[in-house]
Amino acid sequence: MLDTPGGPPASSSPSVLPNPLREGLAEERVPEPAVMVIFGASGDLARRKLLPALYSLTRDRLLPARFAIVGFARRAVSDDAFREEMRAACNEFARRRPIDPELWAAFSRNIFYQPGEYEDLASFLSLKQRLGDIERDLGLHGNRVFYLATPPSSFAPVIRNLGQAELAPKPPPATAPKPPGPPPPFARVIIEKPFGTDLETARALNRDVHETLDERQIYRIDHYLGKETVQNLLVFRFANGIFEPIWNNRFVDHVQITGAESIGVEARGGYFEQAGSMRDMVQNHLLQVLSLFAMEPPIAFDPDAVRDEKLKVLKALRAIPESDFERQVVRAQYAAGSSAGQAVPGYRQEPNVSPSSTTETFVALKLFIDSWRWAGVPFYLRSGKRLPKRVTEIAVHFKEAPHLLFGRRGESIRPNVLAIRIQPDEGIALNFGSKLPGPAMEIAPVSMEFRYGSSFGVEPPEAYERLLLDCLLGDSTLFTRADEVEASWTWVSRIHRRWAEDAAAGRVDLATYPAGSWGPPAADRLLTADGRAWRLP
Amino acid sequence: MSNHPEIERFVRGEPIAVEVGEIERALGSLWQEASRAGEAAAISRAALWNVIVPTCGPAALAASKKLVDELAPALPTRTLTLCLDDGRRGAGLEATIESHVVSQPGGARMVYSEEITIAGPSGAQGHFGALVRALQVAGVPTATFWLDPGAPESLLTRELLAVTNRLVLDTTTCLHPRQLFDLDRLAAAAQPLPIADLGWLRLGALRALFAGMFDPPVGGAPLVQARRVAVEHRAGCDASALLMLAWIGVQLGWRPVRAAQTSDGGVRFDFTRAGQPIAGHLVPAEGACGRSGILAVEVTTASDDRYAIRRTAIDQTQLQTPGVPPKLVKLDSPSDAELAIAALGARGRDPLFRRCLAYARQLWSLEPDTAGSRR
Repeated sequence: MLDTPGGPPASSSPSVLPNPLREGLAEERVPEPAVMVIFGASGDLARRKLLPALYSLTRDRLLPARFAIVGFARRAVSDDAFREEMRAACNEFARRRPIDPELWAAFSRNIFYQPGEYEDLASFLSLKQRLGDIERDLGLHGNRVFYLATPPSSFAPVIRNLGQAELAPKPPPATAPKPPGPPPPFARVIIEKPFGTDLETARALNRDVHETLDERQIYRIDHYLGKETVQNLLVFRFANGIFEPIWNNRFVDHVQITGAESIGVEARGGYFEQAGSMRDMVQNHLLQVLSLFAMEPPIAFDPDAVRDEKLKVLKALRAIPESDFERQVVRAQYAAGSSAGQAVPGYRQEPNVSPSSTTETFVALKLFIDSWRWAGVPFYLRSGKRLPKRVTEIAVHFKEAPHLLFGRRGESIRPNVLAIRIQPDEGIALNFGSKLPGPAMEIAPVSMEFRYGSSFGVEPPEAYERLLLDCLLGDSTLFTRADEVEASWTWVSRIHRRWAEDAAAGRVDLATYPAGSWGPPAADRLLTADGRAWRLP
Repeated sequence: MSNHPEIERFVRGEPIAVEVGEIERALGSLWQEASRAGEAAAISRAALWNVIVPTCGPAALAASKKLVDELAPALPTRTLTLCLDDGRRGAGLEATIESHVVSQPGGARMVYSEEITIAGPSGAQGHFGALVRALQVAGVPTATFWLDPGAPESLLTRELLAVTNRLVLDTTTCLHPRQLFDLDRLAAAAQPLPIADLGWLRLGALRALFAGMFDPPVGGAPLVQARRVAVEHRAGCDASALLMLAWIGVQLGWRPVRAAQTSDGGVRFDFTRAGQPIAGHLVPAEGACGRSGILAVEVTTASDDRYAIRRTAIDQTQLQTPGVPPKLVKLDSPSDAELAIAALGARGRDPLFRRCLAYARQLWSLEPDTAGSRR
């Protein structure tokens, strides 16, 4: 009904009435008209992920009818040339291919390109002028999202220039009384990972960013959080009555989190030499997944309530004692081996990698969360490149039944395992023992599986689709807050410091593993020392 | 039940005749044998829904089977197709069972669906209720697809509603708006079950496009100032058009006043809101369109501004907004199977459909002329 409340969020456009026809539609959450500026528009991320995601959102009618994209990068190309490049990219990487020519024609009309330098204020003043023209031509009212898909070294200068060019004004304080009339247009900034390289650089970057932007404008993206199964973790835990009561140290023996990649460093040797697996995977993806897995129930499903609980987990990570360091941290580097039936070189033979590199391509960790819920429960994390397959999963190993009524029949009685598969084949599987048919009391493990693809008959959207849409809608639940970033770096930087100390003392404890294996024997010993073993994901 | 040719036929998805009283046992036996024959490749029986599809006659049965075949790869169900057919040879009930096996990458096989068809002559519906209760997979919800207007309503109201968790209708099968009355009555009888309508879902893309024209920066102001709304539709699709108009009327709080036929063979409805009159027109027209039969929806405001969506091809629509060049957009035409999957998901619980269906009935009841002469 026209006069009733409950329509879409209040518009930032002047004197705009709510749209009563939106109520009840599947596409009820449609963002307000806006421009998205992509810094680093000629890079791989824009080509492989961002433009294809925006195209898919358009195809699913999830973007507003008035929406424009402006690519910004150093290279000088025309609007048309940029459109043509993006068309090829969408044809190669969009979720539904080939792209629809008519849809593309309509979509690409609002794609523009603006050349410029990230450190040059004049380039940003030109961008401001261009945005004004585009907004005037398309009837837009100044809502802007800036996506920083640039090398991390450009984050601070881009944000500084956004501020100096008055492209991203801070909103009024959250506590300030709301003035009458519509709210001002929004300016939001999405920042790609890595956010810093250690605690000090992350803090410095946060300081730089906060000089220009309010935390409410900042969307630190970790694409893992856009994956359907990661979001399903919250639903699985907090919408089902049966799991939360056993989600604690009374029932859980240990938890394994695996983030495995089958590829090597490919063309990113230069970047990876500086990062290593710890920075590339553990500090962000795995610790984010861990915090969602282990957090307490939030008081509400809103951005700060969820992130407050995740932060508590990150703060509760026990620092690894010096005396146990070797027993809890394993790092390694892949050597030559085999992948997908092909011989592949070792890490040190990869392009742009030092032949004497000590950068880890594999890391395995045993950690504890000092909280009532998880006291005494070890969490084993591992991540590596050139492992046998690409898979990310959480495996919850439950404690054995307190009394084995049926005795031990070889290896047939195994503790229950709940495996939450994040990628690929998103889904959940529960392993339990079942009696084999026949007169004997033989028990065999069986698996009860749920797969997104087969259960819902639809392919889950790409993580970037979900996250870009959330940012346009102003929902930061699935983005990382400044204090979360600093808390995770606090824990990770202690390990880096220890490695640096070891290196300075000439003690580099770096194992190797053949490409195509599940890591070095030392990683297995991390668990066998506790009477456990890695699950084969 | 252990001979191999029969298992091969079963795994290929061909119908296997079985005794009506032996359906469950026969299915269990065939799956067990098929699993053994599959050696390393595992076969899992799975069902997220029981789906009941009552039909009457061979044509409706064939249409139902086509829908089930398309649905199977995407959604694991146990489907019970019930068919009344006096043309069959036997006098009693006959049953067939079929599998829907889909291969997974790597060779593992996964069954997504099994289909049981029970057919009999008129009067056999007295047995259908008990058979359905016996054959429902425990622990999963049951949807009844009431898509064949020829099926006896008593089968639904007396036997099936009690075991149904979601009722799925299709208003697109209504050749005349008067038939919406029957569906509205069924929907009322089914309360408080969630009701999904394939016709309503079919209108979803058009409704979203039309609604999108009034997102910011345009906003809802033109809707407040609307003085005329026209829904152009293909002949025989009056019911869809009426439902579309009802949606707009419900959402904008229009009070229906009267209705009358127009010289072009259409119908005019008069509404009022906040003392302002609004005319709603259903206009029969020709042109390309999907199964919904809707060709265009147009709003004209008090200041004569026009906001319209108009199909220019089966899968294409033009948006017309004042002051902006017309814009072509893609319009999906989902298959019946895609709509059926949506009907079993969250979109199949849209309470707005019931309100719009009741409103559509109210509109069509306004004017005896309208209700009578186009019957």
